[in-house]
Amino acid sequence: MSEGLLSAAGYGLANVVLALAAAPLCEGIVRKVTARVQSRKGPPVWQPYYDLLKLLGKEDIEVGESPSMQRFAAYLSLGATLTLAALIPMGGRVPLDGWADAILLVYLLTLCGVSTLLAGLAAGSPYSLIGSSRGMMTMLTLEPILAVAVIVGAIEVRSLRLDAILSASLFAGPGWPLAGLVMLGVMVLALQAFVERVPFDIGEAETEIMEGALVEYSGPKLALFKYARMVRLFVYCALFVGLFSPLGQGWIYPLGLVAFLAQTLVLVLLVTLVGATHARYRIDQAIRYFAVLLAVSVGALLLAAVGM
Amino acid sequence: MPARKILNELKQRFEGAILRVDIPNDARLFLYVAPEQVRAICRHIFREMDARYVISIGMDDRPFSGQFLVAHDFAFEPEHVLASVMVHVPASDPRIESISPDVPAANWAEREMRDLVGIEAVGCPSQKRLVLPDGWPDGVHPLRKDVPWDFRPENYDENRTFAFDEPPAGCTVVPFGPFHPTLDEPAHFRLFVEGEIVRGCEYRGFMVHRGIEKLGEAVLTYNEIPMMAERICGICGCVHSVTYAQAVEQAAAIRPTARAEFIRTIMLEIERLHSHLLWVGLANHILGFDTLFMQSFRMREPIMWLAERITGNRKTYGLCVIGGVRWDITPEIKGEILSVLDKLEKEWIPVAKAVAGDRNLRKRTQGVGVASKSLVKEVGLIGPMARASGVGIDARKDHPYAAYDRVEFDVITQDGCDVWSRVLVRVLEVFESIKIIRQCLERMPAGEIQLKLDGELPAGRVGISSVEAPRGESHHFVVTGDDNRPRRWRVRAPTYQNLQGIPAMIKDQQLADMTISLGSIDPCFSCTDRLEVIDIRSGAVTVYSPAEIKALARGQGIG
Repeated sequence: MSEGLLSAAGYGLANVVLALAAAPLCEGIVRKVTARVQSRKGPPVWQPYYDLLKLLGKEDIEVGESPSMQRFAAYLSLGATLTLAALIPMGGRVPLDGWADAILLVYLLTLCGVSTLLAGLAAGSPYSLIGSSRGMMTMLTLEPILAVAVIVGAIEVRSLRLDAILSASLFAGPGWPLAGLVMLGVMVLALQAFVERVPFDIGEAETEIMEGALVEYSGPKLALFKYARMVRLFVYCALFVGLFSPLGQGWIYPLGLVAFLAQTLVLVLLVTLVGATHARYRIDQAIRYFAVLLAVSVGALLLAAVGM
Repeated sequence: MPARKILNELKQRFEGAILRVDIPNDARLFLYVAPEQVRAICRHIFREMDARYVISIGMDDRPFSGQFLVAHDFAFEPEHVLASVMVHVPASDPRIESISPDVPAANWAEREMRDLVGIEAVGCPSQKRLVLPDGWPDGVHPLRKDVPWDFRPENYDENRTFAFDEPPAGCTVVPFGPFHPTLDEPAHFRLFVEGEIVRGCEYRGFMVHRGIEKLGEAVLTYNEIPMMAERICGICGCVHSVTYAQAVEQAAAIRPTARAEFIRTIMLEIERLHSHLLWVGLANHILGFDTLFMQSFRMREPIMWLAERITGNRKTYGLCVIGGVRWDITPEIKGEILSVLDKLEKEWIPVAKAVAGDRNLRKRTQGVGVASKSLVKEVGLIGPMARASGVGIDARKDHPYAAYDRVEFDVITQDGCDVWSRVLVRVLEVFESIKIIRQCLERMPAGEIQLKLDGELPAGRVGISSVEAPRGESHHFVVTGDDNRPRRWRVRAPTYQNLQGIPAMIKDQQLADMTISLGSIDPCFSCTDRLEVIDIRSGAVTVYSPAEIKALARGQGIG
């Protein structure tokens, strides 16, 4: 028992370290590729590391309506994201093997959204409040899609255990995985929104509401938020791979990791290209789009329930 | 003669009220009318004769005629006539009946007249300040001749603030500006927002008025003003310099050389190219589509380089002098212009196609920032704003100047009345500009680029001129004077009118659409304010008071 716990902690910690180390690189790749699409040279891929270090080294300024809530929101954002990272398989086995259930995932993802909400409330400026309200609307329509994906997986493998669901569970059911394929489509279309990139960076929208909830953030606290956002890109891609891709699962050590990283990179590139070729949607347009996706995913849930 | 025809109609209707008439040429009409009839005459011109309101000008004419002078300028598009309805106002009682109730577009101009010249428009619906800063003392009007150009009021009240309207019930206030990432210049919109829906707004701009007109009337000379006029705007400066030069030339009955007219046309179109490419980029940036933003700026760069090749500068061309231009276009430069244009055209065709077919872009812009045809008329919207609402006005066609009567081009119109139509109009106008420059290069006659002018320009003459800037008609009003400088020089930049349409355009739409709606008029606050942005180095952590900032800006240091 204690040995199992130890190894779980070890795997979890390894995941956190991997996510912290790789996320800024992913961001760097996003920036570089975007720059290339835009006929720019772009910053070096290491730039996000420098940016974070620079922000972390700046003076920590207390501002806004409620500085302590603002600080808490920044910790919560990165904390929730890293906890999530600790639970998701990244080229190895699922860290909490047999103990955690998938509902925890949905809670943690919601907590990431809640942190943005708190940040906006803490700043108390009209722009941050608009950012928060947009973030909330997005969360309310988007989170159910992810929940449906998890539940479809749970139905296919007849288990809510995390390790069972994150082993390409959506295709694991007997027979042709129609529900899984529908969910794959839905999740590909929703990925951009989960990672809050153009055309769904509505809650930040620099040119409209000046970064929304983050408007009053600076220095180390901003670094935490930015870091959390980068890690979220990495973690969502990992989650996506875990839910849908059997490639690399159960492979021996370096091979599994390489397969995982390669698939994550493909998803990051996809996010980059979509981001570089779209204009931002308005919140009402986005919500309508999410609503359609949600309706389709509920259809997939019904399919899974009847065993297709 | 169209100007005479307009005069005859007005004479029939208002026989005794027209005191004096001046028709210097077919395209200009100056009427001096009796003060008690001015509102009726303007209403008739605006409503019955369907002329477009351009601007109102107030002038301190006391040293010359002992009276104040007010001019209301109108444009008769089909007749190709620019008309000015002028009224003398007694010095002892500088009041005139407001025309804003009949001509809503005159609202700002009348407020500016009260602020700067101290002529009260009685019955103007808005009595708030427009141009003067909040702390400026009442009763001091900087454009009066007895106020020196470097006047600083002793009793400036730092603590006086602007009285904003109360938001309507159920609305919260979202301040948009004075500094906002999408505004490159200070301007303040107080938005009244219900949820994400904008229910109304109040505008407070003119934050850093530079008093360029005062400088022109008090310090500079005829040929120095074009250099200053160019600095009114960082994007369409050449337009102001040409408009000013043309207004003076019309007043003094001078015609620049034919070659100069062609060179002016070429430079104006080069300016339009860079401005439209800039706008397409910025509009896409506002919508979060940064790829087209970057690509459009990349394509714009050779145009900037071209301007530098011709004039020695990327932006401030220093082009105009009265009666001509400074820079010639050599055969060598001609070849370079043609090759840059060819490359731009080749690159712009796919952009135009991609934009026209982009569903994502269309979703964000269609039905957004709607300016109906009646709004165009009421507020006097101009340029791409009017053309995107199906009103085909274009000063290049309607009031031909420079060499525009010797080239063929189309006036691009769309009838969506929304941001999407404005995008299309500007994207397509790029091709027309390319066409115009090519024709100019081909048809440009040889010869002098400047007129030899001996002696002084005659004083007391009035000149008006309109030039189609990238964002609409730019209009200058000049009264020539002694001392080698004008008595009055009034600049009406296109944004001055277009900005007045914003409250109606953003009402009852999403807050997210605010920036692109505002962006769609291609706002140029510096033109409107004639302002200056002051850069303050922030080395040490110091908080400056407004007075200290002012002292810094004036180079006095902080005591």
